[in-house]
Amino acid sequence: MTTLKTFSFEWLSGCSGCEVAFADLHENLPTVLAEISLVRFPILMDIKEYPCADVGVITGSIRTEHDREAAHKMRNSCDIIVALGTCPVYGGPHAGYQINPDDMLRHAFYNNPTTITKNAPKNIPELLENRTLDTEIKVDAYLPGCPPHPRMIIEGLRTLIDPNFRPKFGQHNICFSCPRKMEETQISAIRRNFDGIPNPNLCFLSQGYICLGSVTIDRCLAPCPKAGIPCFSCSGPSLPVLLEPQKDMRVLVAERIAQLTNISVTAIIAELIRNEKTYNLFVNGSAMLRTKPTARIAPIIQENR
Amino acid sequence: MTRQITIDPITRIEGHARVEIDIDDQQRVIGSIFKVLDFRGWETFLLGTQVEKMPLVTPRICGTCSVSHHLTSVKAVDQIFGVEPPPSAIMLRYVMNLAGYLHSHSIHIFALAAPDLLLSPETPPAARNLVGLIQNDKTATIAKMALELRRISTDIGEEIGGRGIHPVTAVAGGMAQPLAEETRVRLFHRAQRGLELTKQLFDAVTTALSVNLDVLDSLPLPSYYLGMVNNGCLDHYQGLLRALTPNSTQPSLEFNGTEWGRYLKEQSTPDSYAKAVFLQTENNSLQPYRVGPLARINCCDKIDTPLANEALQQLRARFGHPCHQTPLYHYTRLIELLYAAEKLVVLLNDRSICSNQIRTPLQNITGIGIGVLEAPRGVLIHDYRTNANGIVTAVNLMVATQQNITAINQTIGMAAQQLLDNHNDEMLMNGIEMGIRCYDPCLSCATHRFGEMKMEIIIRHNHQIIRNLRRF
Repeated sequence: MTTLKTFSFEWLSGCSGCEVAFADLHENLPTVLAEISLVRFPILMDIKEYPCADVGVITGSIRTEHDREAAHKMRNSCDIIVALGTCPVYGGPHAGYQINPDDMLRHAFYNNPTTITKNAPKNIPELLENRTLDTEIKVDAYLPGCPPHPRMIIEGLRTLIDPNFRPKFGQHNICFSCPRKMEETQISAIRRNFDGIPNPNLCFLSQGYICLGSVTIDRCLAPCPKAGIPCFSCSGPSLPVLLEPQKDMRVLVAERIAQLTNISVTAIIAELIRNEKTYNLFVNGSAMLRTKPTARIAPIIQENR
Repeated sequence: MTRQITIDPITRIEGHARVEIDIDDQQRVIGSIFKVLDFRGWETFLLGTQVEKMPLVTPRICGTCSVSHHLTSVKAVDQIFGVEPPPSAIMLRYVMNLAGYLHSHSIHIFALAAPDLLLSPETPPAARNLVGLIQNDKTATIAKMALELRRISTDIGEEIGGRGIHPVTAVAGGMAQPLAEETRVRLFHRAQRGLELTKQLFDAVTTALSVNLDVLDSLPLPSYYLGMVNNGCLDHYQGLLRALTPNSTQPSLEFNGTEWGRYLKEQSTPDSYAKAVFLQTENNSLQPYRVGPLARINCCDKIDTPLANEALQQLRARFGHPCHQTPLYHYTRLIELLYAAEKLVVLLNDRSICSNQIRTPLQNITGIGIGVLEAPRGVLIHDYRTNANGIVTAVNLMVATQQNITAINQTIGMAAQQLLDNHNDEMLMNGIEMGIRCYDPCLSCATHRFGEMKMEIIIRHNHQIIRNLRRF
């Protein structure tokens, strides 16, 4: 009999959606738990220490000193570290363009219209600038998604248990799971989500809507385009956008829309730059994207400081 | 001379919340605070983004009440574009919201409150959790029913919301797509099963409670209440905000949620990231108030579903109106669970929910949008301002737990006072923990957890630690 692989879990600053996704494995949860040996899992076990484990799974991003310490303790006690969810991988929405904590306190405590006091709390732990997990510790495997689909979580973890297991999901983008048809149209202007009612069977790009599905990695099985909502890239960029220096989200999306419609590449790129804060909302804390010149994350941060 | 008790919850709650209690020489509690130590700065980093994306992004404030943030946000965005969704879209939003209630309330009742309410106080801490409930013959059925109910609520929520966690389908002016008739029929059957389970769950929990009534009758805290009512009826999606004084069943104030800035005032405290909120009454005094199930049930005249309304009348006959006993939060949560289950059946039995008219075309950009909704834990407000292009220029959020903070502090003090002379450490910790848990505080869900809180209490006198109790 082989020994079960040991798993240790830890949660940092986030919304707890990834933990809910794990609980939403429902009837699959017992199966998963039978294949591994949990040594630390705050949902199920009262363990405060960081016991040694083969695999450490971390959700949430680093926002406080507590988060930072917990990340290091996990790294020191686990052979493999998995970043689960968009927050540890890219920072998540609350990475907030590395807005400094003073600015955040200013908006919440000094310049807030319904707040009658004019002082921020002081006897409390200081906030750190939000950061991704891999700016603090070495990360061995990334599973972005906000949250990742339960199937991705199961198959992802299984690849770590069984070297012969091949997951069914790969490096595809969202379009791979999206049933909408790409067709050429005569659309001549970019539409925001609220402009008109989109055709439910036609690709959003064909209709002039900025859908980020073609530049986003599929870790969700495309629920949004299936439900009538253009992808807003909560799982972060597709691998070409992430890894290939000359490729970026703007140009790839613009060229695709321009091929399908009568809208010019320049107009689309201008729109994407004008609203790039919105289009990069989940990944702006990423150190990796900040050092990639074509990602334009650095200028956005500068402009928003 | 004062001594200070610090309750520092460990593990998940570490770095998020902590309890401190000050006591004088006469063993009187002279101060108690529930510190919130987490802060993510949502009001800052949303500035400069497209307002129509707010309903997609703001659910990330909280993974367990993402439905509430999604719907509150979309109500604000409806106003930004000056539109009213068509009736079928509103029905779909109700269904999404009520499924969220089934999910949140059932989890709270079976995973968190049930050990407090159903297991005897002598039950060892190791068994005072979900696992203990499942292994205990008397409570195993309740735990299993609650799990099935949770599954039903996720099925309905995912179908209507597009995804279970962080739903996406509510859009400015309505919903992204209509509900297919065959899906409606399937969900209707799920909702019927949900109602059956809820009735059994309600009976099982109330029967178990009937032998333990002194628990419910404890911790009375006369306070103001704020809850949404729609023509006097309990409503979680739309209506006026009604305020009740501690001593009267007559509303002291009713206002449209869009005017919240005139009536609700926030104050910071030096020791916590959570601001306390006060109700500005007619004589301009600032009063702390409570929100959530107890407040809503106190504020409404009646409930428009028969079983929940009957339960409401029984509650009032037994505990008075308004009722102030803090553990009644659990009881009122059960009443709301009944309401949600009944209402889901009614809504999904109505074929008009499948209408294709689900989205009102948008007019212009008004620049102001205030969404108000009852989240499971209480009144939730998203207040946005935009420029003429619909780009966010100001965000102000008011969440439920913030409004309960003053009451939570008082409840902790009250529980500590009752148990201070007790030399059983476990009882003291349980008592304080149970007081906090009534409110189901959600600090990015730090305490919304399976099992018990980990905590450490340090009691100091003359700066010397004289008693140190911990539970990891």
